[in-house]
Parts: sequence; C-alpha cells; structure tokens
Amino acid sequence: MKFGMMFSDISRALFRRPATQKYPYVRQHNPARLRSFLKWNQQACTGCGLCAMDCPANAIHVTILDRKEKRFVFGYRPDQCLFCGQCVESCRQGSLSMVNDNWELAALDKKPFSVYFGETDDITKVLAGEPASGPETPEKA
Amino acid sequence: MNTILPLLSLAIFPGGLTLLAGGLAYEWADRKLLALFQNRVGPRWFQPLADTVKLLAKEEIIPDRANKFLFTSLPLIALAGGLTAALYVPLAGLRPAYGFSGDLIVTLYLLSLLTLCMGLAGTNTLDRFSMIGATRTLTQVFSYEAPFLLALLIPAVTAGSWQIGEIATYAQSHWLVVLQPVGFVVALVGLMGKLEMTPFDAPEAHTEIAAGALTEYSGRGLAFFRLAKAVELVVGLTLVAAIYLGGVSNPLWFLVKTLALLLTLAGIQALLTRLRIDQTVGLWWRYGTILVLLQWLVLILIRRI
Amino acid sequence: MATNKEPERFTISIGPQHPALKEPGSFQFTVDGEIVTKAYVRLGYAHRGIEKAAEQRNWIQDLYLLERVCGICSHIHATAYCLAVEELAHVEAPPRAQAIRVLVAELERIHSHFLWIGVSAHEAGFDTLFMYSWRDRETVMDLLERLTGNRVNYSANVLGGVKCDIDAEQTTAILDGLNFLEERARHYFDVLTNDSMFLQRTRGIAVMSRNQAEVMGAIGPTARASNVARDVRIESPYAAYTQYPIKMALDTRGDLEARFVVRVNELFESFRLIRQILATLPEGELTARMPRRVPAGEVVKRVEAPRGELYYFIKSNGTDKPERLKVRTPTICNMTSVIKLAVGHQLADVPMILAGIDPCFSCNDRTVELTDTDRKTSNIMTWEELRRYGIKFYEARK
Repeated sequence: MKFGMMFSDISRALFRRPATQKYPYVRQHNPARLRSFLKWNQQACTGCGLCAMDCPANAIHVTILDRKEKRFVFGYRPDQCLFCGQCVESCRQGSLSMVNDNWELAALDKKPFSVYFGETDDITKVLAGEPASGPETPEKA
Repeated sequence: MNTILPLLSLAIFPGGLTLLAGGLAYEWADRKLLALFQNRVGPRWFQPLADTVKLLAKEEIIPDRANKFLFTSLPLIALAGGLTAALYVPLAGLRPAYGFSGDLIVTLYLLSLLTLCMGLAGTNTLDRFSMIGATRTLTQVFSYEAPFLLALLIPAVTAGSWQIGEIATYAQSHWLVVLQPVGFVVALVGLMGKLEMTPFDAPEAHTEIAAGALTEYSGRGLAFFRLAKAVELVVGLTLVAAIYLGGVSNPLWFLVKTLALLLTLAGIQALLTRLRIDQTVGLWWRYGTILVLLQWLVLILIRRI
Repeated sequence: MATNKEPERFTISIGPQHPALKEPGSFQFTVDGEIVTKAYVRLGYAHRGIEKAAEQRNWIQDLYLLERVCGICSHIHATAYCLAVEELAHVEAPPRAQAIRVLVAELERIHSHFLWIGVSAHEAGFDTLFMYSWRDRETVMDLLERLTGNRVNYSANVLGGVKCDIDAEQTTAILDGLNFLEERARHYFDVLTNDSMFLQRTRGIAVMSRNQAEVMGAIGPTARASNVARDVRIESPYAAYTQYPIKMALDTRGDLEARFVVRVNELFESFRLIRQILATLPEGELTARMPRRVPAGEVVKRVEAPRGELYYFIKSNGTDKPERLKVRTPTICNMTSVIKLAVGHQLADVPMILAGIDPCFSCNDRTVELTDTDRKTSNIMTWEELRRYGIKFYEARK
C-alpha cells in the first residue's frame, strides 16, 4: 500500500523555481528554425507565382509590373499565413525565407496584416489600383 | 463605550471585515502553496479579492424552477453560519470573548450548517449536476461528521471542558499532537473532508459534474458561498491548531501554527488523487471511525490507570 | 433538464460543453443514483468538411490542410497522406527522409502520450500528475520546435520527403531531452502502477475482454491493453519501420490500469527507437522530385497514429487536385467501447473511461450519416442533395 508516490516531486518543488515561463517579462530565445514572418528577396525572384499557387492559406499575391526589370510587388497576409513554409520550399530560386524572431503579431486593427514588399512607388501604384502591365497571378478571395 | 468595543470587535477586528479579509488571504495561501507544490507560479495575492469583487458585480441568474427565496437566502445563511462559528474560536490568538460551556458542539454544527446550506442550495436548483453534487455533499457530511466530532471531543474530555477557549488554554501546556497523534490525524483528515479538499472533493468534482451543488450559482450568491468557504477555512484551521497544536496564545503563534497546518493540508492536496464518493464513505466509516475509537480506548484506559 | 418517467433516473449530459471534455462531443448517461444505466453518444461537433475542402485544393496545399485534422496527431496524418500520394505517383522518398519521418512520428507519439497521462490524471482528480506530465511535455515540444520549426503542426513533411534535416547539434539536444523524458516516464510508470489511491480509480475499472475488444472493433493502445495484438507498425510496416522494427506493447488485463501500462511501455519503445535512428541515420538527400499532376489511381494507406490505426483512401483522376479523399481515424472505432463499458459503472468513473481511449474528437468527424428516425432508414447524401434538403427544411420552418 503505497501512498503519495509523487512526494519526492512536490517536496523538491518547494525549493525550486516554478517551471512557468514568466512571459512577457522573460522571453526564451527563439529556435533557429522557428517559422515566423516571411522575408522576400526581390533580386532572386522571377515572378513565377508558384509560392502563391502552393500556399494553403492563399496568403501570397504577386503582382508583376515588369518581369524583366524585376518590378514585382509581393503581397503577403500574415493573418492568413499558416507559417507552414511551403512557399519557401516551392520557390526554386530560394527567394523566400522565414525569419525566426517576428512571431508576436497581435495587433489592434487590420492594417499590419496586409504587407507589401517591393519598391515604394511600385507599391503605391498597385495599391492605387493601376492595371498591371504583365501577367499576374489571379487574386484568390 | 461598553457597546462600541464589542461592536468594533464583531465588525472589524478580529471578526467581520478582518475575518473576511483573512479568509481571502488564507484562500490565496492555499492556492499559492498548491501551485508551488505543482511547480507552477499560482495566483497573485489579490486574486481571491478580485474574484469576489468581480462576482459581486455580475448579474445573478436565478433558475426558473428554483425557489427564489431559498436561492437568494441560502448563501447568506451559510456566510452567517461561518462568521458566527468564528465567535467561539481563538481567532488571531485572542481569547474568544463569547465562549460558553458547550460551544465546541455549537461551532461544529455552525460549520456543518454551512455545508448543509450548500447541499440544500444544490437540491433547490433542480439541475442535474447540482442534484448529484448536493447528494454527494450531504453524503460526505454524514460520513466524516462523526469521526471528526469524536476526534475533537477527545481533547475536550482530556481538558475537562467543552469550551473551546478552555481547551485551548489547556492545550498550551499539553501538546496534544504528541500525546494523541491518532486523534490529530483523524482531525486533520476530517478537516479536509469538511473543506472539500482533494482527496475529498467528489462533491465538487468539476470533471464529472461541472461545479457540483453550486453549478447554477453566479454573481452575488456565488460570491457569498465562496466567502463562506474561505471563512470556514480560517475557522477550521484555528480550531484544529488551537486544540491540537498547543493552543494559540498570541497573534504570532496563531499565524505560524495555522500557516503550518495549511502547508500540510496543501501538501496532502497535492499528493493525493480524488476519491469516488463511495470510496470516501468507505474510508471514513471503516478507517476513520476505527482509528478514532482506538484513540478513545487509549484515553479511557489511561484515565483508568 | 431531462428526467424520464421514473423520477429517480436522471440523464446527465457530458458535453458538448463540459469541463471534462477538451473538445465537443455529446454524451448522455442515464444514471440511477450514481450508477450509469444507459449511454448514448452523438458526435459531429467538430466536423469541418475537410474531405470536401481537400477536393478544392491542389495536392501540395492539401498536405497542410490534412495536417490540421488533429493537433496532436498532425504529423502522422501528413505522413499517411504523403506516403499515399507518393505511392500514386510511383515516387519513393529517400531513406533519410523516411527515417526522419519516423523520428518525428515517434517524437509525436511521445508528445501525445505525455499529454494523455496528464489529461487522464486530471479526469481522475490527480492534478499534480497532470501538471508535472505537462511540464515534461514542454521538453518534447521544445525538441520538436528545434527540429521542425513549430511546436504543434510541425510541417516536417513535403510531398516526396521532409523539409528539416538533423545535424549533430540537433542530435545532442534530442538525446539529452530523451534522457530527461525517460527518467520522468519511469517515475510516472512507478506512480501509475503503485500509488494505491490512483489504483483505486483505475484498477479493475472498465475491463474489456479480448473478445469484447474484437467485437467492438477497438484499435490502438485501447485494444492492445486487452491482449489484441495488432499494431500497424508491425503488421504492415511503412516508412522506415522495416529498418527500425518496433516491439509491441501488450497487456492482458484490459482495465484502465492496463491502458496506462501499454501507453507508457510504448513510450519506452519510442525512446529506444529514436536513439536507434539517431545512431544509424542513413545518408542521402531529403526529397525526391514529385510531379504536380499525380497519375490517376486509388490507394489505401494505413499508419499507426498514437491512438490506433489511421487510414487514408485517396483517389486521383490525373489532375493536380484529388478527386476523393477519405480519412478514417482511430477514435471513432474506440467510441463504441466507451458506450458499452460505461453501463454499470459509477458516474465518477465515466470521465476516466472516456479518457482511457484517448479521444480526439476533431479527428473523429468525417462524413455525416443521416438517419431518418420516422422511416427508420439511413442514407448517405451527396452535398447537392444535402443543400437542397436544407433549403427545403428551412423553407418549411418559416
């Protein structure tokens, strides 16, 4: 008849620090492979659109203004993004990667959740709704 | 002048507000100690106070078929029972001013009144979880009451008085935890049954019956029941500490002894698993009663010799 | 509140919202005092239409959709899907990838069993064991995060192989973590089989004989605790289980304690297997080339999830989207045992019996079968028929 077999655990626990991580006052370091926000390298991109096609959450939308000059606008929706990393795998040029330290993405309004990468005047053109001059990946709702 | 001092002592210190605040503080200490035993952080010091304030501010929903008068008055009766029971125990190490011969029984029954009110509240609510919870609460009262009472009567007989104040004074010179260890164990475990602490929290088994007898309570009623439970914690701890742990002669000893007892209770809570209600009853009516009767036997034999 | 004709019989409903359940599912137990006399279950609260959604997405997107069928079994769902699609496309993932798949699957099994120990202890009222086992579970989640990049829904698989590689630093970290976890698992095994108060809640409760287990179709550790010697990793090894065989964890008693024992023994097997894989990991690349359009065909793939046998049926018609995808998860097979075994036990045992099969309700809900209670017929409707029926139903209600 053995009672209280967790006694060794609870008596040791009195003299130890609690196992709870006191976030946000204490943050543990981010593992190297943690998948958080997406990063896009415009120079390596060819505008093939495979990333947008393969994204399970339809979080990527590539607008091509001029393929030769590499004038692309890469639209990214972090609120839709699953952080699965398939876009990183699908890209044959290796232009996508996921940083490991931008995962605290909560916000009070919707504005931070429509991110556009690219040259500033390109982005302004796209946001103003100017028609693209080349083929573009279809916008999925 | 004659009436102001008693009024102050009833309303502010050591009864009334101080008792309520102390109840909340002890509830916090219990939860914090349990958390530390489980290797986690636990609530901050103002958590029980915040819970009470929040509950008082919420809407009270009265179920359709429940008796309204009973539903709203039972929490008040429970709290009143707890607060009145505190009159006869040496709270904060001060001698109980309203003690009289036989107040041991009165205190115990006022504490039982509290549990009975919760059971009644559950039956009154006519909800399936509450009724099962109420049945379990009342079954548990019937099972631990006799051994607990007997375990507290042994020191009474030893001290030759049925007044808690006098037993406590006697206990100051005779450490009954050493002289009557079996009685102490039964009293401690009985206290856990009364306070519905694991392993005897079948009446409130939230993985089986939501919240037991108090499932349908919200707002003010729930706040008063929780306050009543907190007061019961303080009164129960004081009772067992005063009788068995060598009396409480001044506020410092009161704090030390009751907190030491609370540490033990929290440790036992962390260590054991919840028993089914039939196992609880079996445990009490087999081992509890036998142990306490054994202690009685020892007492009688010693007195004869 | 529902009371039947006899005033002493109550119907206690556990769910869909109940502190005992982590996910929604409706159980109705008719009790007489504290003894359960009848049990009834209704599932479907976590039905999300995943099988239909899979038909609208291409093969690559479906991998991530199916990973999210369940949170704790996510990798094994993804592995089954990948193996099935690779078989359809006649592609063989390289041996290093298969070994890493098995490694992550076993880590996931460790994660799932530690979680389950905690949850069952919580249902029994043993909160301390719950807190400690979940604290230890953080170790395995950190290992998985370090290896794959996420604590839950690891996304380690891609069609044709895996995404993440293991280097020496990862190996050391995993081995250290495993040492800690093994020591804790031994301690919990000791506690679970020797603590008298906990044994009072588990020994001799919900005994399922081997015959009953086979008739009710129980699978996984629930059945292995009743001496049914079936384990997909041994009967039809997939991925790297041919190179790394596993020993079956069996127990003959069939009660709740036996289920605990079987799962903790599986933990020990997982530790051993992971160490073996890390020591003899085959060299090579991580992925094989997969076509975007999978050739037409049908395939059935069976794998061993932490809860039992999981199988996938995939039908392809040569395009880049599947034609039909069917997932059969283990929990739905074990549900019958809960209903049958609960009768005759006390109400306080019921959450433990439910927790004993390790229920995963979000895995549960796949197709919906409609029973016409008036005409006592049941049929499977297509989506178009269901839509028309729904429109007619709501028109009639107005």
